[in-house]
Amino acid sequence: MSFSNIDAFAAPPLWRNGPSPGAFYNFPNMQSKTSGFVEHSQSPVTTATSIVALTFKNGVIIAGDLLGSYGSLARFRNCPRILKINDNIILGAGGDYGDYQYVKDLIEQKIIDEECLDDGFNLKPKSLQCWLTRIMYNRRSRFDPFWNNFVVGGLQDGVPYLATVDKLGTAYEDKAICTGYGTHLALPIIRDTLQKNPNLSEEEARALVVKCMEVLFYRDAHSYPKYQIGVVTEAGVKIEGLVDVNQKWDLAHMIH
Amino acid sequence: MSILTYNGSAMVAMKGDHCVSIATDKRLGIQAHTVSIDFPKVFEMGPHLYLGLPGLATDIQTVFEKLRFRKNLFELKENRQISPQMFSAMVSNMLYEKRFGPFFVEPIVAGLEPKTSEPYICNMDLIGCRNEPEDFVTGGSASSQLFGMCESLWEPNLGPDDLFETTSQALINAFDRDAISGWGATVYIIEKDKVTVRELKTRMD
Amino acid sequence: MAMVSSESTPYFPDYGTTAPRTHHFRPYAENGGSVVAIAGNDFVVIGADTRLSAGFSIYTREQTKLFPLSKTTVLGCSGCWCDTLTLTRILSARMQMYEQEHNKIMSTPAAAQMLSTMLYYKRFFPYYIANILVGLDTDGKGCVFSYDPIGHCEKSTYRAGGSAGALLQPLLDNQIGLKNMLNVKDDPISLERALAILKDVFISAAERDIFTGDSIDINIITKDGVKKDSFELRKD
Repeated sequence: MSFSNIDAFAAPPLWRNGPSPGAFYNFPNMQSKTSGFVEHSQSPVTTATSIVALTFKNGVIIAGDLLGSYGSLARFRNCPRILKINDNIILGAGGDYGDYQYVKDLIEQKIIDEECLDDGFNLKPKSLQCWLTRIMYNRRSRFDPFWNNFVVGGLQDGVPYLATVDKLGTAYEDKAICTGYGTHLALPIIRDTLQKNPNLSEEEARALVVKCMEVLFYRDAHSYPKYQIGVVTEAGVKIEGLVDVNQKWDLAHMIH
Repeated sequence: MSILTYNGSAMVAMKGDHCVSIATDKRLGIQAHTVSIDFPKVFEMGPHLYLGLPGLATDIQTVFEKLRFRKNLFELKENRQISPQMFSAMVSNMLYEKRFGPFFVEPIVAGLEPKTSEPYICNMDLIGCRNEPEDFVTGGSASSQLFGMCESLWEPNLGPDDLFETTSQALINAFDRDAISGWGATVYIIEKDKVTVRELKTRMD
Repeated sequence: MAMVSSESTPYFPDYGTTAPRTHHFRPYAENGGSVVAIAGNDFVVIGADTRLSAGFSIYTREQTKLFPLSKTTVLGCSGCWCDTLTLTRILSARMQMYEQEHNKIMSTPAAAQMLSTMLYYKRFFPYYIANILVGLDTDGKGCVFSYDPIGHCEKSTYRAGGSAGALLQPLLDNQIGLKNMLNVKDDPISLERALAILKDVFISAAERDIFTGDSIDINIITKDGVKKDSFELRKD
């Protein structure tokens, strides 16, 4: 207990139970937990928003923007989260960026280990997906989850493959996968397009993804106009850095 | 456990060809403990008008008496019989008066329009949100079982005998899979010139 | 000054705000899905819808929830999908270990007992799954085993489980168990009738249960092996 509360020279509190000028304020009724136990199930800190992904005729395309949000603050503006695993796998990540970087390190080490075997085999997307579900499920069972959504895209023996896993280890494959706000805003657009034309070309798929990122930029508050697109085909993986959302605000004055 | 399933009940009403049915179980319990096996939950409100009240037993009786009062007052004032539509509006209104401290009943109204003899069924939630479908309504603790039964068994334009069979099978098989309703059933088949009330014997466990 | 306080949300009397609440992690998800199984004298059919959902969003419309464990045994799962993935992986590993250790394939009743044990092993952090295991027993007769999440096992001839279990089970009681019916012949059910009932009950379930829909996967198990079939349901 300091003497500041009864210091005759200090200014009195501004109101009863309120703060005093020039003094630290202790919120009444605040109980800080001082347990010696391990703090489990932390909540996400720096987060990335939606991932948009779909398969097309001869490959898979994944997009995600570059923003790392700190709560509602747009704090980090260069957080790339489309990752090339090898020549036929790409990975997109949403959720906690720190957890993503940790998992990324694990995967990169795994790739190095497999390279060291020098058996001429490369990791296939299904294997990576399976492994990811296991680490995610393992962490959720220890009540200390990786707070992420991962989207794995690639070619499984030449066939386009797209799958996802969330923080519980819930995993599934589909032709179109979106996470976060993408499930509500982008996925309906993609499902609608795929229903009309199940065999998109790479150009059509890219145009669709660009459209979805545009929609997400306008309506997802945690989005950012710069993003990356990763494409995997027989030709290999290419990650286009820094695609800009084609912003159009000339209608904005009509919206009240 | 919700207060709506404290006493347990199963109730269903169906539309048929110029007829309607309403059926109920007869159990009254206090959670798993059965207190009575002859507890009325469906009430005659007019010659072609029946009111079913699945939910909390104390509110069943209160709501029934209040509605009987309001319906009688209406008929004395207007000097005409109340139609099922008007009656369900009355029920709905009365429940919404208690929007923030509701009666725990989810009423079912079944009857025939006095002039046209058109079948009418309706159910509502405990604050009076009305639903007037073309096929059937369910209520009580066995309502999900009843939905499954009715969705398969019901078909349009059932005659009075088929309607009785369909309603009975739906109700009995539904409450046999619900631990807190059953113990006998009453089925009302409402036609233009007669109302048939049948007591069904069912398994008592 | 009257102050409301609780450990989880401190109350600040002079500010119109509560402290940020720590979000508690929930390890289970309800991913929906329904499974129905019907056994006959020399066959058993099992059907599961293919919708994988969480709350109001549909993850995918084509997720099979039937897992073949051997040529005569199939498991249907619904509930927490991450638990299902884990459980079925361990199960198929155990099936393989049994086969390699004993040089024979595990029978359906043995697999049923193993599943019960595996579920109970996780008694205090259960797999949140409604399991229905079907197959032919050693005499070639169809059988259905249904479970609760912690390993209670019951053998029967028909069962509905999952999100629409409550809607469908009374219907099966009536149509297959012939409950509450007078003067009916208790003939063994034919495969055609079992399939017709299976499809009918799923159509009904899709009407009223938002977690059931899109389509159903059907496995028909006879002494000749597992035959697969599918059937479209409403997609809204």
